[in-house]
Amino acid sequence: MTPVGAVATIGRLCRITRVTWLSELLEPGRMVSTAIQVGSQVFLTACLWTALYAHTEVSAGLQEHQAVGYAVLAVLASRLRPLSRDMAPDSFYRHMREGTILYWFLRPLPPHRYHLVRALGDQAHGLLWVLAGYGLCTTAGVVPLPDGRWTLPAFLVSMFLGQVIVYQLSLILDLLCFWTVANSNALHVSHFVQSLLSGAFAPLWFFPGWFTTANSFLPFQSTLHIPLSIYVGRIPVNRVPREVAVQAVWCLLLWLITRTLWKRAESRVAVQGG
Amino acid sequence: MNSKSVPVIAERLTKTFRVAHRSAGFMGGVRAIFRPTWEYKPVVRGVSLSVQPGELVALLGPNGAGKSTTIKMLTGIVAPTTGSVRLCGLDPHRNREENARNIGAVFGQRSQLWWDLPARDSLVMLRDIFEVPAGEYRERLRQFDDMLELSRFWDTRVRHLSLGQRVRCDLAAALLHDPAVLFLDEPTIGMDVLVKEQVREFLRHQVAEDGKAVLLTTHDMKEVEHLAERIILINDGEEMFEGGVAALRSRFGATWKVHVTLSDAVGHPRLAHARIVAREGARVTFGPRPEASAPLGHALKEIINAYPVSDVSTEEDSLEDIMRTYLGGAAAARQSASGGSRMAAR
Repeated sequence: MTPVGAVATIGRLCRITRVTWLSELLEPGRMVSTAIQVGSQVFLTACLWTALYAHTEVSAGLQEHQAVGYAVLAVLASRLRPLSRDMAPDSFYRHMREGTILYWFLRPLPPHRYHLVRALGDQAHGLLWVLAGYGLCTTAGVVPLPDGRWTLPAFLVSMFLGQVIVYQLSLILDLLCFWTVANSNALHVSHFVQSLLSGAFAPLWFFPGWFTTANSFLPFQSTLHIPLSIYVGRIPVNRVPREVAVQAVWCLLLWLITRTLWKRAESRVAVQGG
Repeated sequence: MNSKSVPVIAERLTKTFRVAHRSAGFMGGVRAIFRPTWEYKPVVRGVSLSVQPGELVALLGPNGAGKSTTIKMLTGIVAPTTGSVRLCGLDPHRNREENARNIGAVFGQRSQLWWDLPARDSLVMLRDIFEVPAGEYRERLRQFDDMLELSRFWDTRVRHLSLGQRVRCDLAAALLHDPAVLFLDEPTIGMDVLVKEQVREFLRHQVAEDGKAVLLTTHDMKEVEHLAERIILINDGEEMFEGGVAALRSRFGATWKVHVTLSDAVGHPRLAHARIVAREGARVTFGPRPEASAPLGHALKEIINAYPVSDVSTEEDSLEDIMRTYLGGAAAARQSASGGSRMAAR
C-alpha cells in the first residue's frame, strides 16, 4: 500500500468511528444522563475516600490525595470501556441473535477490523468524557497533577496498554456469542469481576496479600490498577518498565487468543439459520 | 463462456451441518451437556446453478428447502461441504473481501443499516466501508432517490422507518457500490402493494438497464411471475426444476380452462388437445386431454378453428396454484416413503 493509500484508508476508518459520535449526539437525553452519572459517581467516590482518611494519613501505602486520586480516576477511566449498545440492535449479541452479523461478512472491511474500529469510536467518545472530568477534577483539586517529569508519559503508555487489554477482554466476551449466541450472563459476571480485580471498585493496595498475588496472574490489574498506581506515584518510575512489559505480554497473549477465536468464529457463522 | 463473464456459477453444491442431538426431557438436556451426540444433517444436496448478467433468477422452495443456505454459500458466508462456487471468477469463501465488492445482499427483515442513525448517515458509512468515490456516491444516490423516493425519509433514524421505507434504504445500501451480483432473500416480505410495485420496478431497472445478475428467493409467486426469467426450484436440498415459468407450468401439471359461447349449434368434433368438461346451453367449457397435456395456446387455436365461437375467455393456474400442488404432492410423497428410499420428484 502506498503512503497516500494508507492515509486514505486511515481516514476512511476514522470516519467509520463516527457511528458512536453521531448516535450519541442524536440522543441528548443519553448525554445528560451520562453527565449526571459520571458527576455523581465522582462526587460520591471523592466524599467516601476523603471520609475514610479522616482519622489516618497513610493507609495501604497510599496518602489521602493518592487514594482519592486513584479512586476518582478509576471512575473516570471506566467510561473508556466500549459502550453498551444493548438497547439498540448494535451489540454483538443482538447482531448474532438477529442474524445481521451476516452483513459483517459481506463487506470489504473484515469483521475483526470493523469490530476494532467501532470499539475505537466508543473509546474515543469515552475519552472525551474522561478529559472533561479530569479537567474539572484537577481544577477542583480532587485529583492531583502527576508528580515528576516521567510520571505522565509513563502513565499514558501504561493506560494505553491497559485499554488494549480492556478491548481484547471485551472482544473475547463478544466472540463467545458465536458459540453460545447469548453472552449477557458472561457480561454481567465479567463486569463485576473486571471492576473488582482491576481496581475500579477500590485500589488494589487495600486487598490482602493472597488476593493481590493471585490477581497478579490475571490480566485485570493491568487495565487500571497499574496505570493509576503509576499516576498517583504508588508505583515508582523505576518500576514502570517491568510493569509495562507485563502489560505488553498480556496484550500479545490476548491478541493471540482473540485472533484464534476470530478464525474459529468465522467458520461458525452458519449457526444463524433461515 | 468463461467463469468471469458469468457472474454466478455453482456446481454440485452440498452442505452438511453437524448438529447436536438432544433427547427430550431434563435428563436428555443433562446428557447433551456431558455426552453430546452429533448427527450430520445434509441441507443442500448437489445444487447447480448459474446467473447471467442482466438476468433475474428466482430460487424457490418451501421453508427449510435449503434456499438460504445456498445463498450463504454463494455469497461466501458459508463454505460448501463439496462442490464449487465462482462469483465473478472468484471463490467467494476464500476471497471474502474482494468478493464483497462484487456482491450486494438484502436479507429480508434483517437490515444492515445502523439503527440509531438517520438512513442517509448509514449510507455514508457504507460509502466509506466500500470506498465508493464521492462523485459516484452522489450520482447513485440521486438515481436511487428518483426510483425509490428515499429523500422523503432518509433523514429519519432507521429505528423510526416503516418496513417498506427501511427495505428501500437497504436496497440502496446493497447497490451503493455498484455490485455485479445482487442477492435478495425475501426482499418484499410484509410490504404493501404500492411499495412492492415500486421495489419490483426498481429491480427490473437494475436487471434490464444496469445488467445486474440477481438471485431472488421469495414465497411471493406474483413477484416471481412479474420479475423472474428463470426459476430454480429446490426441495429438501435438492434441485427439482430449472427453467422458465411456462416450462414449470407444463412440468408440474398446470391446467387451464377455455370458456366459449357458441354462435351456432354444431356437433362435437374430436380435438387433439382439448376436451369438453362442462356444457350449459351455448356455453361450453374445455379442458386439457388427460392423456396429452397441451399448452393453452395450441388448444385455443384448435377450439376456434373447430367451433363457431362468438365469445371466448381463458383461465390458467397461477404460479401459486402450481407451487401449492407441487409442494402438497412432495409432502405426501415424503410421508408415504416412510423411512424407505426417498421419492425423487425429479
